[in-house]
Amino acid sequence: MKVVVDLARCQGHARCEDLCPEVFATDAVEGKCVIAQPEFPPELEARVRLAVRNCPEGALRIAKSATGAA
Amino acid sequence: MTLHFQPPAPDHVPPERMVDFDFFAVPPGMADPTEIWHDLVRQGVPSIFYTPRNGGHWVLMDYADIVEAYRDHTVFSTYQTPVPPIEPFPVVQPQGVDPPEHNVFRRLLAPLFTPIAVRGMVDELQRRAAGLIDRFAARGQCDFIADFAARYPTGTFLHLFGLPEERLDEFLALASTFFRSTAPAERADNITQIYAVLDALFREKQASPGTDIASTIVLARDANGQPHDWTDILNCGFLLFVAGLDTVTNTLAYIWRYLATTPDARRYFRDRLDDPDAFLRGIEELMRINAVSSLFRRVTHDCEFRGVQLRRNDRVVLPNTIANRDQRVFENPQAIDLDRAVNVHVTFGVGPHRCIGSHLAKREVMVSMQEWLRRIPDFELDPAQPPGAAFGGSVMGFDSLWLRWPPR
Ligand code: HEM
Ligand code: SF4
Repeated sequence: MKVVVDLARCQGHARCEDLCPEVFATDAVEGKCVIAQPEFPPELEARVRLAVRNCPEGALRIAKSATGAA
Repeated sequence: MTLHFQPPAPDHVPPERMVDFDFFAVPPGMADPTEIWHDLVRQGVPSIFYTPRNGGHWVLMDYADIVEAYRDHTVFSTYQTPVPPIEPFPVVQPQGVDPPEHNVFRRLLAPLFTPIAVRGMVDELQRRAAGLIDRFAARGQCDFIADFAARYPTGTFLHLFGLPEERLDEFLALASTFFRSTAPAERADNITQIYAVLDALFREKQASPGTDIASTIVLARDANGQPHDWTDILNCGFLLFVAGLDTVTNTLAYIWRYLATTPDARRYFRDRLDDPDAFLRGIEELMRINAVSSLFRRVTHDCEFRGVQLRRNDRVVLPNTIANRDQRVFENPQAIDLDRAVNVHVTFGVGPHRCIGSHLAKREVMVSMQEWLRRIPDFELDPAQPPGAAFGGSVMGFDSLWLRWPPR
């Protein structure tokens, strides 16, 4: 599975980074979301989903990965 | 009793949406000023209502509407918004400017307050918190607000702006008059003084720049390679001064009052001193429940919002404490659940003006709690002292918080 961010919505709350730093970070210029590991391993799924639900801007979304393996 | 002249309701407001509500007025004996807002919910006021007080303004009461107002600057502008109205009001940078112009100062400040930048401030924040607490820890008693919560963010401001520590008392006095005075002449004089101090500061940094934030602002160049307008520079300094002091002070005050009266919460955080993830989750919940600020917007043009007729220049108040306890968004919203899993609170706003200082503010709260609980693991309200007087307005709080603990 894959997580994607809509940077037009992201306002840099960094809740994603707080909840799952293995997958999310924030940049040094605007403080917006950087997805370090878009195709995350299954053991992180629960925490990635938690990060998605905690984004106050609704900027994160889980998508089927390019390989279709989801 | 003072008699206030209240303007009549504007004729576009239907009578069923009129509510007589003054968000500055806290009834005597009420310890928690956010209750003036939650009382409105208990009274069953309409989710969008108009009050003739404070010059007349709308209030939005639903999380979804408050979030929409934060996001849609084409209807809800941040330009010239004070309630009650003060015109002209300084066009503070970047908060008082709508996108896309907003982006100029937003981009200038953003790198200085990212999570990465704030991680670089942690040692300094720890040193400052520890230094303040060590001054009274052995005494077994303090007024948390005068001795810590007011000094800490103000000292941090001095540090970030490259100002010497000796000026702390001067800045504390300026901030205290700014936030608490209601005398018009004193207020006008105070704002003149703050601008004079900022003017001298920025000139000094222009002549001999350092690595501080004031230097960064004064040295920045616009898209054409020119320095920013001097008025904008002053208005940006002014916003940083007013945005990051009283908000932090009152948030800390609320949190410490809760900790003083809740042994389980003290234990929760003491047990997690070395587990930053869990510590942070608990703080996020304390930020949700202790949303001290309400924000203002101004309607840009006559239009309908959720079936309600708004008129150009109508003022709108967005109470974060109400959004954060909306039962359609938060499970069991009145309960403090330090392990709350989903917490999309709007204490720092959302949308383009999302608080640029939110990571710094949360770090200030976190570091204060860590340093405090390591030195003063248990404490309570001092029964020998009167409770602080509560105040409403755009930043709510109370003016003293006496605590005691076993002296060492
Ligand atoms: C607990 C403490 C704080 C709270 C509750 C808070 C709350 C807020 C809120 C709700 C906004 C949105 C304003 C709007 O939409 O009109 C905001 C904006 C802002 N805050 Fe904070 N704030 C806090 C601390 C700080 C600190 C420490 C700083 C200092 C760096 C700061 C600097 C700013 C700035 C510069 C803006 C304007 C951002 C923009 O317009 O783009 N705040 N704050
Ligand atoms: S929580 Fe949402 S808005 Fe905040 S940085 Fe992450 S994606 Fe962006």
